[in-house]
Amino acid sequence: MSNVVLETENLEKVYAIGRRKINALSDVNLRVNKGDFAAIMGPSGSGKTTLLNLLGCLDRPTNGKVILDDVDVTRVPEKTLWKFRRHKIGFIFQTFNLLPYLSAIENVELPMEGTKKPKSERRKRAHELLEIVGLSTRKEHKPPRLSAGEQQRVAIARALANNPTILLADEPTGNLDVKTSFEIVRLLSKLNIIQGTTIVMVTHDSNVASRAGRILFLSDGKLLNREKKGMHLLKGDLTCPHCHKPIQPDHAFCPRCGKKVE
Amino acid sequence: MHYTRKGDMYLGTLTRAVRNVSRRKMRTFLVIIALGFSMAIMISIPAGVISNQEATQSLSENYKNTINNMQEEINKTSTLIEVSASSRRGMFSGAPSGMPFPRFGQEETFINATVVDEISTIVGVKDVVPFLEVSSEETTEETMSTPRGSFTISRPVYTITGVCLKSTLIDSYSILATNVIDGRNLVEGDSGVIVISLNLSDYYGVYVGDKIEVYDETFKVVGIYNSTTRTVHMNITDVQRITDNVGNVSRLDVYAQDISYVDNIAEVIEAAYPELYVTTYEDRLANLERTQEMYETTLATSESTLSQMQTVAFQEISIAIVATSLIVLFMMLYTVRERTKEIGILKAIGFSNWNVMNQFMLEGILLSTMAGAVGAVIGIIGAPVISSLLLPSASSVNLNPFSTSRGFSGQTVNFGTALSQSVTATADPQTLLLGFGAMLLLGAIGSLYPAWRAARTSPMEALRYE
Repeated sequence: MSNVVLETENLEKVYAIGRRKINALSDVNLRVNKGDFAAIMGPSGSGKTTLLNLLGCLDRPTNGKVILDDVDVTRVPEKTLWKFRRHKIGFIFQTFNLLPYLSAIENVELPMEGTKKPKSERRKRAHELLEIVGLSTRKEHKPPRLSAGEQQRVAIARALANNPTILLADEPTGNLDVKTSFEIVRLLSKLNIIQGTTIVMVTHDSNVASRAGRILFLSDGKLLNREKKGMHLLKGDLTCPHCHKPIQPDHAFCPRCGKKVE
Repeated sequence: MHYTRKGDMYLGTLTRAVRNVSRRKMRTFLVIIALGFSMAIMISIPAGVISNQEATQSLSENYKNTINNMQEEINKTSTLIEVSASSRRGMFSGAPSGMPFPRFGQEETFINATVVDEISTIVGVKDVVPFLEVSSEETTEETMSTPRGSFTISRPVYTITGVCLKSTLIDSYSILATNVIDGRNLVEGDSGVIVISLNLSDYYGVYVGDKIEVYDETFKVVGIYNSTTRTVHMNITDVQRITDNVGNVSRLDVYAQDISYVDNIAEVIEAAYPELYVTTYEDRLANLERTQEMYETTLATSESTLSQMQTVAFQEISIAIVATSLIVLFMMLYTVRERTKEIGILKAIGFSNWNVMNQFMLEGILLSTMAGAVGAVIGIIGAPVISSLLLPSASSVNLNPFSTSRGFSGQTVNFGTALSQSVTATADPQTLLLGFGAMLLLGAIGSLYPAWRAARTSPMEALRYE
């Protein structure tokens, strides 16, 4: 079975503004393997968000293919595309985009609505996710009462609700201060390493991008032919859930307490 | 591909709809009040029309029954020839409603009692029953309003009817008061006793066994009969004595041996006593026909008013329906515009077009449900006021009632009472239910386009919306 979860072939997006045509993306060929944490870097207007919207089935390309889990989603009719957005993709936005009149836990439950999970199971899953992002004590709080970092954590939990194939993050730290940005990227790294979540993150911040496993560069709508490896993990990114001491990703058991690391 | 739990989905949608509706309290309140009034109009107007329809139907039935009763009475008295000293004394003479009194300014005229004996000798006459009707001494002042202004008149409080108490006559003909509800009726040989109408009993507060003064003489009340007129029945000789009318009568009921003698007897009386008014079976039939014509005119007018009312009602209900749909439409369009970003978020996290459409449809229906409840309350309380304000005045169906007073056995037959009372519109449960259903339907129709627009919104465009 192929290890590729997301692939684009000659992806092109042209916007027409009056008679003018603007090539937002041209000939983008991207391949994301299962378990990858890829950061796409580029200056403003380079087409990062356009690319992410195409990958996330929020927009249609002018030409080319987006293959998600072996399905060319550009050929999927608009009226059934929601199934891919619900079950295959988790979206994280720069502005969090939580529903202000729902509590944190209700926001996390929202994507699970209409799935085969019963209400009690959805609530349990939402609770687990809030625990993973470190917000179990604030689950009943509504977004306006949460800090920006906390709101982004809720948004990450929401994106993970349906166990998506891939997590797409559009400038997830764009609205956060340096310290909170670091915490959020560390959270994404942990998810990638511990849970094996495949992540594609768009950012213009090189510090943030450096925490990914792969760093790709987009310029004027084209994916540059140079790819860097990120630092991926910093000391303290991974800790034992039992004794909270630092561990390495390849550790199956904690070297300090000897307990199994999930 | 994937199973869904629809019940849970709708519960979540409903929860969000309730929260969204309740977080904009003032707007929701204003929309509910506006829609509530629309709904109140939608239920009050049909209620008003139905009430007027029922009143017209009741009027029609009342007229038909009265005409039938009159016809029956006329048929029963085919051998009766009425002879009176003045024109008003005749049966079905078209006297105004509830006026068993001489017309104002008209002097009471009498027939000499010797005429009774003379008429008795005419060939074919079986019996002659004399009556003496006199107004009471006591008068009451009443203010009358006319198009030319109002003025005060004084009119007698009651009428005294003196009847001949010979048992042969009492047993054969209907000459005494009917419907005695307390005490007894007059019998042969009675003197110094009276039978009074219920109306008069209530007016004076006198009951069976009490004494009452009539023309300075005290009479004992022995019976009360059910009638809306104010009348006293007593022995004719008592009336003649107390009113200084010894030897006078005011009216004669002449009974022929059979119908073949009636015309001849009438002709003889008219020839011999040209000053008297003679009414026969045929005259009474002609009067009945005139009454029927009046009835038909009255009914036609009330039906035409009803039809006019139905047209206006149709127009007003149509306006209310359009207004309701527009209020919901604009409110929901505004809501969809305001929550464009939310639509984008819902679609980005996997909501289908159908889910988004349901969300906004449900909100529209929720608003109209609340408005329906408010409208039902306003409708129940305000239906009489709303229908009277918005429908052509019910007084236009309030036709001049006409009546015959007399005559048979002291009974008064009133016409036109059905619509002479004011018609009160009441919203019945069926109308309320229909109005509520209409409100929900209009809420759904009004939300349909905004919800469809919301569902069709591109998630990417919606997410960019600020």
